[in-house]
Amino acid sequence: MDSSLHEVWQAASSQPFLPAVGKNSQFAVGFTLLVGGLLLSAIFAIRTLRPINPPSASTDDEPERSFANLAVIGVPAALALGFGVVYMFCAVGVYV
Amino acid sequence: MRTSAVFAAALSLVSFAAANSPVSQTYPPPQVWKNANLVHIISAEKNYVKENINVLIENIAKQPQDEYFLPFTTDQLARLGGVEVKDRKDAKAGPFVAEIVEVDPKRNTQYLRIQLPTPLKPGAQQTIGISYYLLDAYKPLPATINIEDPQFLSYSFSAYCPSAYTTSKQKTEVKFAFSNIPDYTRLPGSGDVAEFPVKQGAKLTYGPFDEKAAGAVEPVQVRFEFNRPVNHVADLERDVEVSHWGGNVAFEERYTWIQGGANLTNHFSRVKYQHFRLPTWHILREMRFPLRVGSSDPYYTDVIGNISTSHFRSNKREALLEIKPRYPLFGGWKFPFTIGWNSDAQNFLRKTATGGYVLNVPFLEGPRQAEGVEYEHVQVRVILPEGAENVKYTTTIPSSSIVSAKVVIHKTFLDSVGRTSLVIKARNLVDDFRDRELVVSYDYPLTASLRKPIVVIASSMAFFAGIWLLGNLNLQFSK
Repeated sequence: MDSSLHEVWQAASSQPFLPAVGKNSQFAVGFTLLVGGLLLSAIFAIRTLRPINPPSASTDDEPERSFANLAVIGVPAALALGFGVVYMFCAVGVYV
Repeated sequence: MRTSAVFAAALSLVSFAAANSPVSQTYPPPQVWKNANLVHIISAEKNYVKENINVLIENIAKQPQDEYFLPFTTDQLARLGGVEVKDRKDAKAGPFVAEIVEVDPKRNTQYLRIQLPTPLKPGAQQTIGISYYLLDAYKPLPATINIEDPQFLSYSFSAYCPSAYTTSKQKTEVKFAFSNIPDYTRLPGSGDVAEFPVKQGAKLTYGPFDEKAAGAVEPVQVRFEFNRPVNHVADLERDVEVSHWGGNVAFEERYTWIQGGANLTNHFSRVKYQHFRLPTWHILREMRFPLRVGSSDPYYTDVIGNISTSHFRSNKREALLEIKPRYPLFGGWKFPFTIGWNSDAQNFLRKTATGGYVLNVPFLEGPRQAEGVEYEHVQVRVILPEGAENVKYTTTIPSSSIVSAKVVIHKTFLDSVGRTSLVIKARNLVDDFRDRELVVSYDYPLTASLRKPIVVIASSMAFFAGIWLLGNLNLQFSK
């Protein structure tokens, strides 16, 4: 046991822990991020996946499959999903 | 490794139970002290016994002495808890170090060794106050009663305070909750008093006695009315879960509650129970948990599920959780249940100047009952965020009640490597120790705090990369 911790506690009286997002805002933040992340995921999927039975042989309907597509849409979608999942967990009472 | 090293050092300061104590004392302890005056106060007002021994000790040896021994039987030792020793005339001196030493495992008497902060010179005197609790102290007498009968308990002790040293003058006071004390052992009086004990309301006084030799005992028994439930918690598991992302500290307590009073002679009768509904009965009907202000989201369940007979009153001044057991608890009946609640992290968690964090939570937060509550086994688990390190702790619970403390990994929702958890086991505590502090400090690096979103982000990115690779596959037949 470290008895000096009582002094550490007293010394830190002016610095209570405050989370980056308060409890009242966790649902709004989590929901917004999750919806945004899912929308971006959907856009990424539409622009990336090749139709199995293309309606025509026209090259105009071909999806963009560049690596930039993955970086520009995939990364923001993953970020939004990552933080959105964490905040949505907290918002529903599972404080991770 | 660093955490382990810190805990190894911390544990070395913890006083362990007799089994872990060194055998370093001769039997019996040398007669280097004399109890010049001793007042032994036994408080049987609650469903555990609290004993206070205020003694003026005098060094009768030729060398300075700093170790004082107090004897206990092995039976008492298993039920002993909350030992605290203080200087009665110097409150600033703080609690003395007191630990059980195993002098001779084959003997029935073991000793509590009290370490005085400064050795006492030959002929010098000091007044010390020794307080401790004995759990499971009473026996219902009669052991079984009818539903409408009053409850009586019996308690056996020695009219002479057990001591390893000669006692020049002493008396023993026994206090009860009710003045109805139908039976007690009578002893021949001395001086103006024809017979001991002297009864004054709800108090019995044995003595004053003249000089008694070391180890002198005078067994006596009292039987007294106790129309209250005998609350015994066989096991309490208390979890304190800290969330930095949620800014929350979640509490959960799992009780194995046993009503230790007189059993029912016959089967429970709902008709009689409804008919003889008296307020002073020995039935446990309700528990009141005064929580910290700001507590929210309480729940109350048992193995069946939610129990709806509860009420939570929360405002700026109090947060009181009142619960009723699923059934009224008679003597010998058992009721396992769980309660839990949340609180904002800012009420318990602070950031230190060095960038770490310090948490201050109550070690024990049981119900506040007029009749008291005793806890046989207590496990407090502080679940820190995933990746917390360099864990240190201190508590104002008497160190002699702490059995073990260790850091383990606890895995739960969204965890990848598991959360750092401090598990402290204690025994033989009572509700007098309610709200004693448990202070835990730890470091929580930024990389560790970002672990949860990074795991989700990495998983999503892997999924997207897989889709991207899949999309680039050309599965069409070539023309």
